[in-house]
Amino acid sequence: MRQGLDRSMGEGSRGSGGLSLGKRYWRSLEELAASPAFRERIQQEFPELAEELVAPATRRSILKVMAASLALAGLTACRWPKERIMPFAYRPEGYVPGVPQHFATALELGGAALGVLVKSYDGRPIKVEGNPAHPSSLGAATAWAQAAVLEMYDPERSTTLVRREGGQRRVPTWDDFLALATEHAASLQASGGAGFAVLAEATSSPTVLALKNRLEEQFPRGLWVEYEPVSRDFERTGLAQAFGGPVRPRLHLERAQVIVGLESDLLFGHPEGLRHARHWGAARRAEGGTMPRMYAAEALLTVTGAAADHRLALPAGHMGALLRQLAHELARAGLALPAGWGAEAFAPGSPEARFAALAAGDLLQARPHGLVVVGPAQPPEVHALAAGLNEALGAVGTTVSYLPDPEPGRRSHLDGIARLAAALAEGTVQALWILGGNPAWDAPAELDFARLLAACPQTVHLSLYDNETSQLCRWHLPRAHPLESWGDARAWDGTVSVVQPLIEPLYGGRTLAEVLAALLGEAALSAHDLTRRTFAQQWGGGDEGWRRALSDGVVANSAWAPLRPRLNPEAVEAAARGLELPPAGGQELVLHPDACLHDGRFANNGWLQELPDPITTLTWDNAATLSPEDAQNHKVRHGDVVRLSAGGRSVEAPVLVVPGQARGVVGLALGFGRQAGGRVAAGAGINAYPLRTAAAPWAVRGVHVERTGRRRLLATAQDHHVIDTLGMAERGRRVGSLIREASLAAYRANPEFARNTAWAKARPLWKEIEFKGEHQWGMAIDLSACIGCGACTIACQAENNIPVVGRKQVANGREMHWIRVDRYFAGDPADPEVRFQPMPCQHCENAPCESVCPVAATVHSEEGLNQMVYNRCVGTRYCSNNCPYKVRRFNFFNNFKGVSPTTRMAFNPEVTVRGRGVMEKCTFCIQRIETARIAAKNERRPLRDGDIVPACAQTCPTRAIVFGDLKDPDSEVSRLHRHPRAYGILEELFTRPRTLYLAKLTNPAAPAGEGEASS
Amino acid sequence: MSSHADGKGRLWGLLAEYETVPAVLEAAARVRDAGYRHFDVHTPIPIHGLDEAMGIRVSRLPWLVAGCGAAGASAGLLLQWWTNAVDYPFIISAKPYFGLPAAIPVTFELTVLLAAIGAFVGMLVANGLPQFFHPLFRVERFRRASNDRFFISIEARDPRFDPRTTRTLLESSGGKPVLEVEG
Amino acid sequence: MSAVPLDLDNTLERPGERAPLVLGKSDLASITEQVCEIAERPRPSREWWLAFGTSASLTLVLFAMLGYLFWTGLGVWGINQPVAWGFAIINFVFWVGIGHAGTLISAILFLFRQKWRTSINRFAEAMTIFAVICAGLFPAIHVGRPWFEYWLAPLPNQMQMWPNFRSPLLWDVFAVSTYFTVSLMFWYMGMVPDLATLRDRARSKIRQIAYGIAALGWRGSGRHWHRYERAYLLLAALATPLVLSVHSVVSFDFAVSQLPGWHATIFPPYFVAGAIFSGFAMVLTLLIPVRRIFRLESLITPRHLDNMAKIILATGSMVGYSYIIEFFIAWYSGNPYESFTFLNRALGPYAWSYWIMFTCNAIIPQLLWFKRFRQTPGLLLVISIFVNIGMWFERFVIVVTSLSRDFLPSSWGVYWPTWVDLLTFLGSFGLFFTLFLLFLRFLPIVAMAEVKSVVPAAGLELGPHRGHGQYWGEIPHQHDEENER
Repeated sequence: MRQGLDRSMGEGSRGSGGLSLGKRYWRSLEELAASPAFRERIQQEFPELAEELVAPATRRSILKVMAASLALAGLTACRWPKERIMPFAYRPEGYVPGVPQHFATALELGGAALGVLVKSYDGRPIKVEGNPAHPSSLGAATAWAQAAVLEMYDPERSTTLVRREGGQRRVPTWDDFLALATEHAASLQASGGAGFAVLAEATSSPTVLALKNRLEEQFPRGLWVEYEPVSRDFERTGLAQAFGGPVRPRLHLERAQVIVGLESDLLFGHPEGLRHARHWGAARRAEGGTMPRMYAAEALLTVTGAAADHRLALPAGHMGALLRQLAHELARAGLALPAGWGAEAFAPGSPEARFAALAAGDLLQARPHGLVVVGPAQPPEVHALAAGLNEALGAVGTTVSYLPDPEPGRRSHLDGIARLAAALAEGTVQALWILGGNPAWDAPAELDFARLLAACPQTVHLSLYDNETSQLCRWHLPRAHPLESWGDARAWDGTVSVVQPLIEPLYGGRTLAEVLAALLGEAALSAHDLTRRTFAQQWGGGDEGWRRALSDGVVANSAWAPLRPRLNPEAVEAAARGLELPPAGGQELVLHPDACLHDGRFANNGWLQELPDPITTLTWDNAATLSPEDAQNHKVRHGDVVRLSAGGRSVEAPVLVVPGQARGVVGLALGFGRQAGGRVAAGAGINAYPLRTAAAPWAVRGVHVERTGRRRLLATAQDHHVIDTLGMAERGRRVGSLIREASLAAYRANPEFARNTAWAKARPLWKEIEFKGEHQWGMAIDLSACIGCGACTIACQAENNIPVVGRKQVANGREMHWIRVDRYFAGDPADPEVRFQPMPCQHCENAPCESVCPVAATVHSEEGLNQMVYNRCVGTRYCSNNCPYKVRRFNFFNNFKGVSPTTRMAFNPEVTVRGRGVMEKCTFCIQRIETARIAAKNERRPLRDGDIVPACAQTCPTRAIVFGDLKDPDSEVSRLHRHPRAYGILEELFTRPRTLYLAKLTNPAAPAGEGEASS
Repeated sequence: MSSHADGKGRLWGLLAEYETVPAVLEAAARVRDAGYRHFDVHTPIPIHGLDEAMGIRVSRLPWLVAGCGAAGASAGLLLQWWTNAVDYPFIISAKPYFGLPAAIPVTFELTVLLAAIGAFVGMLVANGLPQFFHPLFRVERFRRASNDRFFISIEARDPRFDPRTTRTLLESSGGKPVLEVEG
Repeated sequence: MSAVPLDLDNTLERPGERAPLVLGKSDLASITEQVCEIAERPRPSREWWLAFGTSASLTLVLFAMLGYLFWTGLGVWGINQPVAWGFAIINFVFWVGIGHAGTLISAILFLFRQKWRTSINRFAEAMTIFAVICAGLFPAIHVGRPWFEYWLAPLPNQMQMWPNFRSPLLWDVFAVSTYFTVSLMFWYMGMVPDLATLRDRARSKIRQIAYGIAALGWRGSGRHWHRYERAYLLLAALATPLVLSVHSVVSFDFAVSQLPGWHATIFPPYFVAGAIFSGFAMVLTLLIPVRRIFRLESLITPRHLDNMAKIILATGSMVGYSYIIEFFIAWYSGNPYESFTFLNRALGPYAWSYWIMFTCNAIIPQLLWFKRFRQTPGLLLVISIFVNIGMWFERFVIVVTSLSRDFLPSSWGVYWPTWVDLLTFLGSFGLFFTLFLLFLRFLPIVAMAEVKSVVPAAGLELGPHRGHGQYWGEIPHQHDEENER
């Protein structure tokens, strides 16, 4: 059940945050006897204790404490109790202890919101899931969004304000800061904001926007810039060129039949990736006999490239030329295009030319259902030309629509930071407030921002972590985590969501809005007040609307209406003419946000560090990826450390050889190699930012690669070692039967192609026991839909309390993920096909693991579940040896020993925390099965199909995973098990898996000549 | 030398020493034929034919062992059937709760184990071992019984025992020396 | 007493003439002297102390490793996913294999009336006992939660649950424990008369009491000997199938699973042959130095070495045959997984271990076709050591190569032992040799009573009287003539 969380509920849910109350007690003490002298003394004696003493508290909280203060004899003792259970004074309406509640809220990344539902037990948020009502989520959630829970409970988040003066580190209070703010505001009033600058991370929050506008009114001479290391500004600029003003493109894959993507990781690396993936997955099932076709040209192998039917590996710098080639081919095929758009950049017959020709043919045929997409790392001109082509193909309105830009006047991030750096250098900025972000670490290297920052007389940094930037600022303010705070945010399409707290701020942080308000003399207003004010002003609807917004997680009809901007062909032509093939030769370095850590802000999140990269399966590290040929040319092997130098700066990174990467390209992920901001982040990977300049933020040409002679062990979740040729060959032989696939045409000709008739006649040697349970659980995984994003792995980790084991153990093959995504390469190493296969426990009916366990610690349920009985397991590991799918995971150590009490609050109370020496594995989320069963019983109704959704299936963006009752012939899963594409892997072992895979379908264009589109 | 073992107390019996196997075998047969029952031969090595020479009935140990073996086998089968199929059955790889093939190894091992224990313990019990004291241990010379000499002892409690005739019987059969053993 | 010249070649088979099993002065007394003297030395030699010190400290290392293991968890070993079994299981199979020679020699050769066994069976049995102790150690420590091991026994417990008798591991528990118990009884029973000898020769009170208790008051009574013989024969008859069963059951651990390279019907015979092979090799490795150090050449003669060498040659050839036939089956079965597993063994990342195994087990022992290698103790020693190494690697190959690359290429992995693995393995040798040296020091290392019964001096060879292990025939009658006279 979801429900709004209004003020009083807020109190309720906070009240139950046991630990936060532990904190609150000290806050109130501080308030009761708060003399600066006392604080000073405490600080000298117990610095960490002092940190507990800083935040103020409300009258109500003090009363609560009074009520529970009998237990506080420990007050005189030097140590304070870690945690304290506090009774509710009253039971909040609609709240039953022990029954989880779901609250709708939103998480923001790079200025685009993702609507989520958060499951909360007794005031402890434990799981983030997508909000079906939210346009960018449609019920799915990305890895980073799901891992937000762990981030919120991170004991290494900054817990106090910090003041750094002349090498001293002091711990002021919020009051001290407010004093500073008001005094500062006063001085600014006088000067009209001269010498004052704000550097904010990108946010879509209407509240922040409103405050910002007021700030700019009040302090006209102040400077406000936004900076995100990873932004889509090139797209924005490019479209501005094409349309004469910035617009935001929105893609509609549900209507697309032919997609041509250039460096566009639109299924994964896009703010609306989840939505794109949903539509893509739905269409690729080809139930209707039609399916879209995707052409992808990219330098590095991405999830999107892996999903494409035609993939061209091409250095990022060549994309512009390729797009012109495409325009050329389109024109040649009869599409009316201005002359200057197209150009023949590649030799006829070259792979690029063939790719362009094929794509052009399909695009024309598919009109108006074609779509050309360009990735955010491509220069604006390429975007402009792409917009032109979409216009010409009539795609606008069908597969792409344009929305107004939230802040047309905004300076682009790179300009902004450059401008600020200049101002700092001139010394015209005396006060710099940095709200979020980590510019000292991720600003373009040539700006030398860290030095400028250190030189600035007054600097304030609001941040979740006391990170690289904080340490160079005079003031560090702990920021409230989105799950702890009130606020609002807008989705990519403009839909507004209200951000509501799930728990009292653990470490007394404040939100961005609150800090701004303080500067505007509104310190008295809480984030809640500010948000409500904005809401009332912009959406009205009073309490009713507010509650509705809270409970739905979205504000109805708040999305932007599509515009119909007029294209300026001359501008496009001007842009296009600039797109030439770069001079041949020279290595290109392609920087990209990490699939898990993004720009590095998630670096202290163990779940994300250990989540294997979809393509390389690398964990806890980034690496210089090279194509096999380049690796040979540079005479380097997997794990050799190379020095990459460009523009006088260099970094050293281990090599990872990735088939399918463009030749002449080195890939390197951003976000690793943090120097501050947590023990988890420390030592993971190397920092790529030194090679990143404002001039070339993504693709750096002329990079020099040299061997250092050193090696680094890379912790990959697959291929734990370099595989010899023998193994390679065998793997190649096996993939075909593990992942069965056919082209759409072949499938139409023979729908049963995946069926393995050879083993259909197999009979057991013994009389099999038939399962008598009233339900028979089973799963189906559609390989046509799966894009290998790995969201299921994180969902499972969060749901089932799966430990993080760390880089050494992963390198040793001891990762604990219950569902892994197997990645296989097939075909030519230079241009391989990539196949993904999610691999949970198959729940075999004749489970090989069971018969070998001497103590019957793993047995079968009457409902066909292969159950692992943790408290019966003695740990012989024989079951794992005998499991042909190797999905069993063993606790080689006590994996929870190091876990802090705070992080323990993220555990799912419905799932056992496994101890040392015990085997574990996927349970089909049995806790969810039982919960649904009980719910159905209470409502006196039978279980319905869809009542039970395992964590992996729930979060799968493409809905590739389906779970249900095989005994019910009408259930979705039964339907899929009967599907002609359904097959079980390793059936020949007669394990009778309860998890069936649906064979993969591809839709390559027929070779040029009789090329016809799929529909 | 003294024809009389040291020590006090009533006479337990006579002990005669022989040099070689044939000698002791022959003497044993004589003693047997003379109708003695409570006599024994002590040798450092097992001598075959001695049991016949002494007229020992064939041991019934094999039957005991067979019994133990049978007990082991049935115990093994019962244990596996009852525990896995009756008392606490669980579904394992969709296999039958009790299957004979899977039950063979444990059954076999238990059979052998019990049978072997039967043989070992049975032998000791039948021989009245361990018996840490025996009057013969009083005799210094008897130490060689475990080395290189052969002895015949006739107990005084034998109805036909008579210190004089028995001694002559032993001496005439080549026993040298013949000692009296105090009980 | 006639003395057979020490340099006589008793390995020649001359029809109609029984080759002497014992050389040199061999009347009963001197045999007693020769054997007991070893256990009766007032103080052991410096060499003994050296050896004992070394092995004892290795034993301490073993216990240190166990402490570390139990304290920290199995993660201190090299095992992982997919190679969830490593050194522990390898060492277990290795030691169990070695533990086969003793009972084989005592039981099977006994039934076959191979009298030459008498000089070496005590020795071999002792080795068996100690090897099985080392073997039993590893399964016990390799589980994740050793403190719950008793769940493997069919004991009523708080969960009201019983062990799963369908699991080969459980068969193993029964097989190994039974084997140990029976071997122990067999060994001890054979030792009782000799303990009596030591008791009777004992000078000091302590030795007298200690051996006296151990000898159970044995007094060589003819009636006792009679039942003793029966019991010994029965135990031998029971132990014989046991010897064959133990390693068969151990091989089930692998054969009953469905892992390519494990799931093979050839495993039981192949394992048993291998076990006998390694067992005899270990006997030789120990016997040859001991025989030299303790001057037992007259009791343990070239004939004994020769016979054992022949057994090693035979079993070694069986093992070699299995290696080759495995490849044939892999190919002939047409099972792609099986075929790859064996290709991978011979050519994959662990090929080196495979070829060490093949050379040591299948090739080097073939030298034993030559009499010179069979009868030159030095050479024989070297070969036997190679066999020991080879047999350890056989288990390494079976366990590691099969697990490291099974069905799904995505979950292929590698296995490397950690220092804890290595020290634990080393420590198990320490334990083994510690026990063995104590045996050499305090117990009769040759079965005197049995040896005595095969020397001419016993006079059992003359006339109608028979030696140890001969039960046929009827009562001798010459005394009847005496009576008539």
